Amino acid sequence: MTNTGAAAGLRLSGIDLNYGFVKALDGVDFEVHPGEVVALLGDNGAGKSTLLKVMSGAHRPSAGTIEVGGDAVDFRSPRDAADSGVQMVYQDLALIDAADIATNLTLGREPVLRGPLGWLGFLDKKAMRRESLRELEALGVTTAPVTRPVEMLSGGQRQVVALARSAVRVTAKGQGALLLDEPTAALGYAQTRQVEDLIRKMAERGIAVVVVTHNLPLCFEVADRIVVLNRGRKVADVATKETDNNAVVGWITGAKAAQAHLVR
Amino acid sequence: MEPRNDTEAVAAVRNAERVPDSGGSNGVKTLVFLRDRGIMVLWLLLVAVFAFWAAPYFFTLTNAALVANSAALTAVFAAAVAFGILSGALDLSIPGTATVASVVGGVIIHNGLPVWLGIVAALAVGVIVGAINGILVQRGLNPLVVTIATLTVMGGVAQLIAGGVPVTGLSQLGWMGNTQYFGIPAPVYVVALLFVVGWIFLTKTRAGVRLMAVGGNIEAVRRVGINANRYRILGFILSGVCASIGGLLVVATTTQASPNPSVGLLFSALTAVALSGMPLTGGRGSLPRVLVGALIIATIASALVIKGIPPYIATIATGSLLVIALAFEKAMSSAVARRLAPPPTAALETAPATTTQEA
Repeated sequence: MTNTGAAAGLRLSGIDLNYGFVKALDGVDFEVHPGEVVALLGDNGAGKSTLLKVMSGAHRPSAGTIEVGGDAVDFRSPRDAADSGVQMVYQDLALIDAADIATNLTLGREPVLRGPLGWLGFLDKKAMRRESLRELEALGVTTAPVTRPVEMLSGGQRQVVALARSAVRVTAKGQGALLLDEPTAALGYAQTRQVEDLIRKMAERGIAVVVVTHNLPLCFEVADRIVVLNRGRKVADVATKETDNNAVVGWITGAKAAQAHLVR
Repeated sequence: MEPRNDTEAVAAVRNAERVPDSGGSNGVKTLVFLRDRGIMVLWLLLVAVFAFWAAPYFFTLTNAALVANSAALTAVFAAAVAFGILSGALDLSIPGTATVASVVGGVIIHNGLPVWLGIVAALAVGVIVGAINGILVQRGLNPLVVTIATLTVMGGVAQLIAGGVPVTGLSQLGWMGNTQYFGIPAPVYVVALLFVVGWIFLTKTRAGVRLMAVGGNIEAVRRVGINANRYRILGFILSGVCASIGGLLVVATTTQASPNPSVGLLFSALTAVALSGMPLTGGRGSLPRVLVGALIIATIASALVIKGIPPYIATIATGSLLVIALAFEKAMSSAVARRLAPPPTAALETAPATTTQEA
């Protein structure tokens, strides 16, 4: 891609990653801009999870550069990535089941009371609820009461909480990207629609979103752009409206040749 | 699906299609109430039944004080077990820590040094042993094995410090032992203070909430950028401190510090914790319920003693009750889970929703 990188939320260039002798990623370029939803597709073993792990800081690439908001970064851990505003929502959601929505949303940046009680680490539960509610509203979602334990939510609601928690952190940084790993894998039809809607809303609020999925209908529903990996190489990078299901399936399976500008 | 309760809005993306959800329905609320408060209901039932069955001696203030006193030691050790489990690890070193703490405190007091120094030293033993456990576990060693090892080592250390014989004549701690204030035995005050402080810590403070979160899902806590290991170690330290307090209580009531760890106390503490419905997987449970668990054991024992039934019947009853409580808790939890999160259904329109992970 030849775009100027300045506006990119997250930009990876020439990423190589070797597992021993296996080249899991081979010169992959990838970028996502604020307000854009990019779907990352590929068959099992094509390298999409590996690329996701590079973006989220879980793996360090053997070669290549990563930029967040135009600045080069070096992620040594998921924490580094999170500190730069790159937030990952894992398939397992990583929620604290026994804790309520407010606790889950504010975990790690809990408001404490003012004064001596605050010095002792006493939580300002009212502020926790208020902030959670405000953040959910800012994303345009209403959930169950924020005092409800997460374990008492439906699958869709849990997904919404997990997405909201990460989205809030991206927004707070003012840069970065939200990485979603199979966000609808365990959901039914109606709940999938909810999550699709939420993903679009987050993009409208200027968040850069990357969705890794096997689910083609989801990807055509939410993505502005589709990136396909095959055997560790990028074989397609197209605007969603310029392609169709058959072409994408062709790239995923390898039946269709890589786009001309991507062949080296 | 039950009708949606409109006062408690269901999660739905605004303007999006709203799906029915039973999260706020009364059936689930009842189940959750039974799961979380069933132990208290059970205890009140036991008290009510015993009040008639073991009348007139059971339901008296004097007997209440006796029950509370005999529950006290179990309760303190149960708190130690609970802090460990809540932070995600079963700490078996508790009797060892308690023994070393009591021997260290005992030797200091026995040699004429100030009593407060003995208490501080005993508590410090708890902090140190807890920190050692925590650091070892945080290095990736299995908590069960690590704490069994610490238990074994501590048994030897206690013998070493005490010179192989109990430290006797320690009446200086009598004010927290066999003394009564306003008709209530001193250990009951210690337990009350410990549980109130512990409960406030776990539910009202940031460190407490994070400690429980670490027990519930340590990976989730790590991913939001919290140093989760610190809270694991904190859990072991709190467990160690509670064990030390238990050790001091033993010294206070028996006026001697025995260098032999009492594993039996650990098991009655575990029973109280299990009765409280606290799953050993961690991150869930409450201290008040643990206290009720300890009270149930003492209540059953008391009623059977009053009726002149041999004490081994009490242990049979307690053991059976434990299994029943466990089965009940499991039934409630799975009933709640079934109603709230029905198994994922395949969605036809969004078809190939495979969850296969790449290798």
